[in-house]
Amino acid sequence: MNRREAISHVAILMGGAFSAPTLLAMEHRDNTAFTKSGSVSFQLNDTQRQIVAEVAEMIIPKTDTAGAKEADVPAFIELMLKDCYRQPEQLSFLEGVQQLQTAGFLTENEARRSEILHKIENETKELMKAYNVQQSKMGDNEDRELMKTQVKGLPFWRLMKELTLLGYFTSEVGIKGSFEYVPIPGKLEEVKLKPNQKIYAY
Amino acid sequence: MNLNLVVDKTHRFDAIVVGSGMTGGMAAKELTEKGLNVLMIERGREVKHIEDYDTALKAPWEFAHRGKVPVHSAEELWANNRFGTLANEETGPFFTNDKQNPYIEKRPFDWIRAYHTGGKSMHWGRQSYRWNRQDFEANAKEGLGVDWPIRYEDLAPWYTHAEKFVGINGHKDNLEVLPDGFFLPAMPMYSPERHFTEMMKKKLNRPIIIGRTANLTKPQPWHTALGRATCQYRNKCARGCPYGAVYSSLSGAIPAATKTKRLSMLHDTIVTEVLVDEKSQKAKGVRVINQNTMEVSEYFASILFLNAGSMNTAALLLNSKSSRFQNGLGNDSDQVGRNIMDHHLGVGANATVEGFEDDIVFGQRPNALYIPRFRNWGADKQPNYLRGFGYQGGASRSDWKRGAGMDGFGANFKKEMTQPGTWNIGFGGFGEVLPNPNNRMYLDPEKKDKWGIPMIVFDAAFGENEIAMRKDIASSAAEMLEAAGFKNITTYNRPEVHLGLGIHEMGTARMGKDPKTSVLNKHNQLHACKNVFVTDGAAMASSSCVNPSLTYMALTARAADFAVTELKKKNL
Ligand SMILES: Cc1cc2nc3c(=O)[nH]c(=O)nc-3n(C[C@H](O)[C@H](O)[C@H](O)COP(=O)(O)OP(=O)(O)OC[C@H]3O[C@@H](n4cnc5c(N)ncnc54)[C@H](O)[C@@H]3O)c2cc1C
Ligand code: SF4
Repeated sequence: MNRREAISHVAILMGGAFSAPTLLAMEHRDNTAFTKSGSVSFQLNDTQRQIVAEVAEMIIPKTDTAGAKEADVPAFIELMLKDCYRQPEQLSFLEGVQQLQTAGFLTENEARRSEILHKIENETKELMKAYNVQQSKMGDNEDRELMKTQVKGLPFWRLMKELTLLGYFTSEVGIKGSFEYVPIPGKLEEVKLKPNQKIYAY
Repeated sequence: MNLNLVVDKTHRFDAIVVGSGMTGGMAAKELTEKGLNVLMIERGREVKHIEDYDTALKAPWEFAHRGKVPVHSAEELWANNRFGTLANEETGPFFTNDKQNPYIEKRPFDWIRAYHTGGKSMHWGRQSYRWNRQDFEANAKEGLGVDWPIRYEDLAPWYTHAEKFVGINGHKDNLEVLPDGFFLPAMPMYSPERHFTEMMKKKLNRPIIIGRTANLTKPQPWHTALGRATCQYRNKCARGCPYGAVYSSLSGAIPAATKTKRLSMLHDTIVTEVLVDEKSQKAKGVRVINQNTMEVSEYFASILFLNAGSMNTAALLLNSKSSRFQNGLGNDSDQVGRNIMDHHLGVGANATVEGFEDDIVFGQRPNALYIPRFRNWGADKQPNYLRGFGYQGGASRSDWKRGAGMDGFGANFKKEMTQPGTWNIGFGGFGEVLPNPNNRMYLDPEKKDKWGIPMIVFDAAFGENEIAMRKDIASSAAEMLEAAGFKNITTYNRPEVHLGLGIHEMGTARMGKDPKTSVLNKHNQLHACKNVFVTDGAAMASSSCVNPSLTYMALTARAADFAVTELKKKNL
């Protein structure tokens, strides 16, 4: 019996009440990498959550407009990692958070925190190079799907940056605070940018 | 909306149209307007125009995942997801659940489906171009595939007919390679694009034009009569346009057909078989199964239009076996399911543009630039491949998304992200694919879907001609960007692109002069069963490199005109 059959078998024993996504999640649990991280569905604990929130706020701080926290970016990041990413990304993200925890990020002062993030940013450059090489090697490989689960995910800092920007600049406070929001432009026209003019978001 | 459903006990109509998408819609419109009572049968759920465009007016923050594709959705829509973003929250609910509608890939085939009212006309990119004269002549000249039984002149008036009804904006560019048509006012180019256009004219003598799309820039009376209004420049057309400014079967053809009071429609109803009358050897109707209740029934008509989308139309023919057509309806030539073509894409180049820092745009253009084919055209002769490609693309200013790959964080970084970045410019090619009988789909002899319909097997791939062309698409794009003086030029040639991903799949029941080597005649009639018309992409004998839907619609209108004339003469 292979793994898929085994899981379906269990599902039948348990009354066949599993939807396809649940079965998939069960299949994932069976995966060695996941066993290592010890979590089925991605979830942060309170300390991890706090770290993510602080880092997000340092990327997009409160100024004359709202910061990442006020735009609910931390919760968004967690949701996205759970729903839209697979385990390589979830693992590399957790690894990054762990690294910050080990470095005592939450107990450090503002200046020290900033230093730590700059250091991570620098290290990420090398990691990104390695990541890109690995991606291009995957190419048209038949085992692409399998390889996807074995390779290293996008580095923590890159995920953090991407998701903070996405979460913030698509949030209501982020959009309305930063741009002129025009959901229905009604026309199409080239305009000259004036000093301090807000650009348009749609 | 259109449920003038008076399907009486006899289940009898003048015509049955299978599929409510781009071509089915056009068939129903033409046939009802010419006086026929038409039953249109759609396998998917009913989507009501405007009312059911659930995501159309949602703000970005109203989507939980903000445009990204959730993993479960990627898994349910595994084939659609190969395209990139189709499975996201904006449009995902419209695309077909591939897990519940599986197909078999003997060789990989990216099959994008949208089973619901309007089919893929709900989601298309709206790019609309006529074929040129040579497109119809190339097969004969090069001895490839079969010769088209028609020429440009045969289709030209029907192009005009379709363009008028659909409403296509564009500029009269006076190019032999891309004939002009009936156009609404063109959309503008942006300043870096005008610069690019000038440079290309000066340096390479190559015309660049603004794309021609099916968005109403200036509705005409016959558009407003159907409730269609001017484009609001939101560029969210694939979610369904609440203004009816984008053309789809839902905004145009179905309302027009409904107006005649001669259209009846069935949803959730899969046509499984065309029924052939043993005595006359003509088609007499169709057998269907309700996708929810599994109830099987039959409907009858004097003529049938098969518009289920190229692959499903071929599957329907293959599944329609009778004593006369043991190999599938109209398949004496064994060409049904063969010669799958598409346009290959996912190859091109990008660059950054210096300057134009003060220029921004108000509104979002649902359109792009178009670079018409220049390869193997005029004096140009390529040593490594036949035919050519066109590019689509254009310039846009980078926004906060650029920040992900940039250094920095904090207040200044945040401020910078609210400012526009540099202008970027990029072009991707759409390349012609040659007909090849070994690129095929067929029905699995054993495996069936949950409705008991044999599963489709794809066995097709790009050939040497396409692969050689792709290399040139990438390098020619880079060459043009370089000639224009742009910086940071990068090329791409996605290796995981297969046939199908162009979403212009076609060719599985080709037109031709000889019944021995083709399936349809010059009127889109099955050679061997004259009251069955196939006017979706299955009919194509070659693929050109321009987006196909306008040509499908012109062929449909032409065939409908012929069908009604013949019916009135009692020839069918
Ligand atoms: C994202 C995207 C972008 C595109 N961009 C462009 C573009 O810019 N320009 C262009 O020209 N084209 C474009 N296309 C392609 C265009 O949408 C298709 O060419 C066109 O819709 C094909 O029309 P059709 O009638 O053959 O099929 P469809 O529009 O797919 O309609 C087929 C209909 O038949 C129904 N059906 C299938 N089988 C059965 C059955 N057995 N019984 C009953 N009903 C059945 C389906 O549910 C569907 O509603 C694009 C497509 C997509 C998805
Ligand atoms: S851009 Fe125009 S056609 Fe597209 S959705 Fe907006 S109003 Fe409709």
